[in-house]
Amino acid sequence: MKTILSLFTVLLVFTSCEIEGDLTRDAVEEEIDNEAILKYSGTFVPTSGINVDGEVKIYQQNNAHSLKLVDFNISYGPDLKVYLSKTDSPSEFVNLGNLNPNVTYAIPLQVNLADYPYVLIHCQQYNHLYAIAALQSN
Amino acid sequence: MKKIFCISLFWIIGCSTVSAQGCSDAGVCSVGNSFEKERTSKNLIETGSIYGVGEADVTYLSSYVTYSRELNQKWALSAKFTYAVANGSFGTRGQFGDAYLISNYKFDDQWSLLSGFKFPFTTANAKINGYSLPLDYQASLGTFDLILATNYQYTQWDFNLGIQIPVFNNNKNSYFAEYSGTNDFPSTNLFERKSDVLFRTTYTYRTPNKKFIFKPNVLFLYHLGEDSYENIFSQRETINGSDGLTINGNLITSYTLNSVSSLELSLATPFVVRDIRPDGLTRAFTAGLLYKVSF
Repeated sequence: MKTILSLFTVLLVFTSCEIEGDLTRDAVEEEIDNEAILKYSGTFVPTSGINVDGEVKIYQQNNAHSLKLVDFNISYGPDLKVYLSKTDSPSEFVNLGNLNPNVTYAIPLQVNLADYPYVLIHCQQYNHLYAIAALQSN
Repeated sequence: MKKIFCISLFWIIGCSTVSAQGCSDAGVCSVGNSFEKERTSKNLIETGSIYGVGEADVTYLSSYVTYSRELNQKWALSAKFTYAVANGSFGTRGQFGDAYLISNYKFDDQWSLLSGFKFPFTTANAKINGYSLPLDYQASLGTFDLILATNYQYTQWDFNLGIQIPVFNNNKNSYFAEYSGTNDFPSTNLFERKSDVLFRTTYTYRTPNKKFIFKPNVLFLYHLGEDSYENIFSQRETINGSDGLTINGNLITSYTLNSVSSLELSLATPFVVRDIRPDGLTRAFTAGLLYKVSF
């Protein structure tokens, strides 16, 4: 009985792991092309109990838009996402994926940016809004 | 007739190369009957590890331990805990999966009833290096499920009919195929899963010296509706083709070590599958080694 439980515990310990694969390596920081045009920008404002610094900038190049976080820092959250949102709360939005300040987010072509005047940082797992940036046209 | 049935099952297991759903992790097909004819002790511990080959390049090693106790001649209880490691292009991720609490009630020598719950240890949102992972890499689906089943035994045949109903969904998966760099797995952001019904028939053959027991069985799983997820535009979308029938073939070979313990080898593969299997339960083949001891 003890032997069985010990063996099972050892098995769990030796199989407990998190190892990166080809699709989960560190993202290389992507620079915005010099020819890209800055269309919108905004400064992040935290919600209660959250610390945030930084800005968001949206660039246009060849009819495609991309979103970049600049000098960005925020309190830890287990499942933070970047949303383009129609309002300052996460009800109607475009989910751009996991928060990673090194990433340049490609905005889907069918998105009309005029309909999405906010960028939100939102913890999806616990449905908690972390930060809001109101976009200004440049 | 028996020979034909056994040969057919071997052929199915040996020749099938389809990549498809194996048995649901979620329990109703993997939680057994706590009453065993030969058992004289009240307590049983079962532990095992199962190697599986899944969708794309994913392989699995799933381990579990089950404790069962016969309270009296009518009632038995069991608790099961699972742990799974998935490995593939996204990397390697290991986690505890689910706990099952199951009760068995035996009406007579032929009929018994099983009821219980599955409790997830995770929200199915494990990540590697901050990247969201498809459900194929998650140890649990994140659902609290009600499990109900009945078992009828007739000579050497066993028939099981069961249903597994997600009663509370705590799936917080955040995987989008669009952002992943591969099309091998469908998007399952905030996945919602439908119920399964199961029918299994098992034939038990004991060798004359009673050292070996062979249990070929066929498992029919019907997924009762199409699953859904929330797309990148925050709209819920059903996953077409995620409902329907799965048929698995399984051969269990049991070797009796002594009067209280035995070893089992379980080989399984599906040969009818659903069109789309977003829940990550897909297995082209599984091989499990199990150890049972009663006391």
